[in-house]
Amino acid sequence: MSDGTDVTLDEVRARIRAAGLPIPEERLGLVHGYLRDALRPLRAFDARAARDLEPAVTFDAAAPEDPDGGR
Amino acid sequence: MADDALCYAGIAELGGLFRRRALSPVEYVQDLLGRIERLDKTLHAFVTLTPERAIADARAAEAALRRGEAGALAGIPVAYKDLYATRGVATTAGSALLADWVPAEDSTCVRRLQQAGMAMLGKLITHEFAFGIQFPGHRFPAARNPWNPEHVPGGSSSGSGAALAAGLTVAALGSDTGGSIRGPAAFCGIVGLKPTYGRVSRAGVVTLSWTLDHAGPMARTVEDCAHLLQALAGHDPADPASSPEPVVDYLAGLRDGVRGLRVGVPRAYFHEGLAPEVAAAFETALDVLRRLGAAVEEVEIPSIRVAPAFMVIMLAEAFAYHERDLRERPELYGEVAREKFMTGGLFTGPEYVQAQRLRARLVAETARVLQRVDLLATPTAVGPAPPFSVVWNPDYPFGRSNMPPFNLTGLPALALPCGFSPAGLPLSLQLAGRPFDEATVLRAGQAFQEATDWHRRRPPV
Repeated sequence: MSDGTDVTLDEVRARIRAAGLPIPEERLGLVHGYLRDALRPLRAFDARAARDLEPAVTFDAAAPEDPDGGR
Repeated sequence: MADDALCYAGIAELGGLFRRRALSPVEYVQDLLGRIERLDKTLHAFVTLTPERAIADARAAEAALRRGEAGALAGIPVAYKDLYATRGVATTAGSALLADWVPAEDSTCVRRLQQAGMAMLGKLITHEFAFGIQFPGHRFPAARNPWNPEHVPGGSSSGSGAALAAGLTVAALGSDTGGSIRGPAAFCGIVGLKPTYGRVSRAGVVTLSWTLDHAGPMARTVEDCAHLLQALAGHDPADPASSPEPVVDYLAGLRDGVRGLRVGVPRAYFHEGLAPEVAAAFETALDVLRRLGAAVEEVEIPSIRVAPAFMVIMLAEAFAYHERDLRERPELYGEVAREKFMTGGLFTGPEYVQAQRLRARLVAETARVLQRVDLLATPTAVGPAPPFSVVWNPDYPFGRSNMPPFNLTGLPALALPCGFSPAGLPLSLQLAGRPFDEATVLRAGQAFQEATDWHRRRPPV
């Protein structure tokens, strides 16, 4: 997802339904805020332009020289 | 306590008094227990007191001191965030879920400090599972900020920050997933060190987020943090993320000063939305470092704006840890904490992976900046401690924070006092360094504390 758009309330409701989690409607604003802020950098990220960027799944604080294709 | 100032004494001073037999560790512990009894009724820093254990530990330390077999930490009182497993002592993680859990083993950190001869005073309150703030009516009342009990002490190591600021313990342990050591250090006017990821074992510390959790020391001075790190650091096979990197002597070069060190100041992201008093105190702190001989220069971390992706990683990992209980026993989670944890179940698998890819880029870019400078300096928090009346709002947002970037990158980061707000609340400087270069971070912090007296101010308790 790299269309740069924000998460909508309808999308939050759809995600809650899909996950089957009992998040009450009165907490929707809180949850929406978390999702929107957390996903903003991901939606601004064009993954096609960084195909060689590998995830930090085995995290090491001593960084590799170049995670963007440094293999 | 015969001399009330002694409740704020540091490790070296107390160790000297113990060695000269000018002060008994047993009497000192007893005096601190009395102070806790007096002050903690309103501060709520401790969730469990272990007076018999404290006195037994102090007696053992006193005997070791007499035999000349004691190290620097012998007889020094310590208290543990209630996220650290303690053998035979309840470990609640601030949660009703674990309210009756009595671990059979000590966490590695607790074991190392006990082996060093420290006297365990008790367990310190934590936000629920190091995450959810306690609202009124929570099973465990929230700790109060000794500088103003109407304000939060920060979290999640809230009890650790409050107890140190109020002179209820000499040392404490905290844990830091997105700032939980450094935030309470900033809001309570004390010192907190988040070591490099892998430097201090997380074994036996209740998990919030595997790839972001760090264990570390909290104290009132940089020097005391160095003493504690010396005992805590080192490989632990019980922690899969523990590093075999050799442990250096953190005290040997502590007083070498900052002359010749290059300090980078990343403004983008870290200076957005700063309270004016924070901005002013930070510039004054930079002037101190310059005056001491450091070369201060502006630096850029191009992808710093990916930092909010931290929440994807933290919440998704926290949900993975808690999913079964969230689905089967949701009523045992506190109000709001439950929905915050559940938010982690709303991210997709690809979103978690993308967040980890952005993290890898941030790690590499920050490492490149740290080839040019020795340290990074930022304000620790964007403002002073907010009042409970503001944060006790279910919709209170996390807000932007200067601390998670160093959980994402795993770099060592130190929070230390650098001023006060007009309302008398502490302000804090954050210094971060290269992987496993805690020695340089501590050395710069020590130089700053030798040139300033912010860490010597005491709250009106």
